[in-house]
Amino acid sequence: MGQLGRVSVAGFELALDRSYHPGTHMWVLALAPGRVRVGMDPLGIETSGTLAQLSFVPVGTELTAGLPFGQLEAAKFVGPLVSPVPGPVLAVNEAVGRDPGLAERDPYGAGWMIEAGADLPPGLLSGPAEISEWFAAKVADYRANGVIAE
Amino acid sequence: MAAEAGALRVVDFGPSSPVRSQTLWHAVAYGVSAGAPATVSFTRPAAPYVCLGYHGALDEVDLDYCRAEGLPVLRRMVGGGTVYLDEDQLFFQISLPAQAVPAVRWQALRSLLGPAVTAFRAVGVPAGLDDDLEICVGDRKICGHGAGQIDNAVVVCGNLIERFDHERAARVLALAGPAHREQTLQLMRRFVAATPVDAAGFQAALVHAYAEALGLRPVPGALSPDEARTVVELDARFTSEAWLAGPQPAAGSGRPPRRVKVRAGVWSVAPEHEGAQVAAFTSAGPGGL
Repeated sequence: MGQLGRVSVAGFELALDRSYHPGTHMWVLALAPGRVRVGMDPLGIETSGTLAQLSFVPVGTELTAGLPFGQLEAAKFVGPLVSPVPGPVLAVNEAVGRDPGLAERDPYGAGWMIEAGADLPPGLLSGPAEISEWFAAKVADYRANGVIAE
Repeated sequence: MAAEAGALRVVDFGPSSPVRSQTLWHAVAYGVSAGAPATVSFTRPAAPYVCLGYHGALDEVDLDYCRAEGLPVLRRMVGGGTVYLDEDQLFFQISLPAQAVPAVRWQALRSLLGPAVTAFRAVGVPAGLDDDLEICVGDRKICGHGAGQIDNAVVVCGNLIERFDHERAARVLALAGPAHREQTLQLMRRFVAATPVDAAGFQAALVHAYAEALGLRPVPGALSPDEARTVVELDARFTSEAWLAGPQPAAGSGRPPRRVKVRAGVWSVAPEHEGAQVAAFTSAGPGGL
């Protein structure tokens, strides 16, 4: 294990100190009761292509789980960043908006995207064993289908 | 609206005002998201204008020049750069339910640009899709494309460039100075090319190529009443200052950009001092014209 709470899984860094939404590759980290931070895991970023732009809804927007909290542009394709949590947006990371490469270089740290007024919702993957198993299976699936390089 | 199984709706909007040349197909995307059939649509601007990609910075446009020339400046919901559009460009859009395309964006884009390449080849243009997903003949881009997800529809749009006004396409951009402007124009001439083929033949080939690729049957169609109402709503949104300002965090620095993308892998870079040599960067590294 390298940095505290982080492991390498099939060539990707995986942080074990947070929860994951398996369909969207969004991670959710509890910062305090009623406050979570949200970002995208390295596999989600890798399969998006080189990030060109990121934009977010304004602070104060009421999020619905499963609906967009922003937009991601890569390879001239603009697609939704899907929120894994409901609740109000408390903060957006303007630094990653100005430099989307932050999300590629430091997806679990400086590349975070938004903070929301929420607790961890049910249905997320959590715990080292569960998220490691899921993540390894996703990498294998993407490699088998040519989505990412071997 | 229930989707007609196996149908590929084909809608040719013909010449349209600048704002309608955007809002018509955006309304189609919303319609497809709500259950309308997959749709190929065509529009041709009846007058020139400038269009920003969804995330484009207003700093990229010479707004004073556009105002003086009466050129509308609009923002679309899909990606790509700032572009100049006029009546010598025929625009096409393929709109599909999001669940019908690969979830991985570059795979979706590659699969949906493939039929456009097939259509170019069918009318005698030796086009190919390069590693940057640009439709090219050799190293010259011949089709500007953008893509995005609008609600639950995925849209990929592109154009047939019958003639290209390189001078005006460079002139509408805000650039760092005369040398940067000249460099950008030279790179556009070098790397962006028109393909003056028969537009009707290209339209027919494009419809055929998408129908074949998707396993659908082309059916001439028109906007539904709901889509027509959406057009009117989008007309208002697309001409509002708030929409033109773009999403947050606001892109740009309030100054003309010092790097302008001419095509994927080719950038025009402003000199540090006006009169100094300007640099052109390609995917192969710094180079000349």
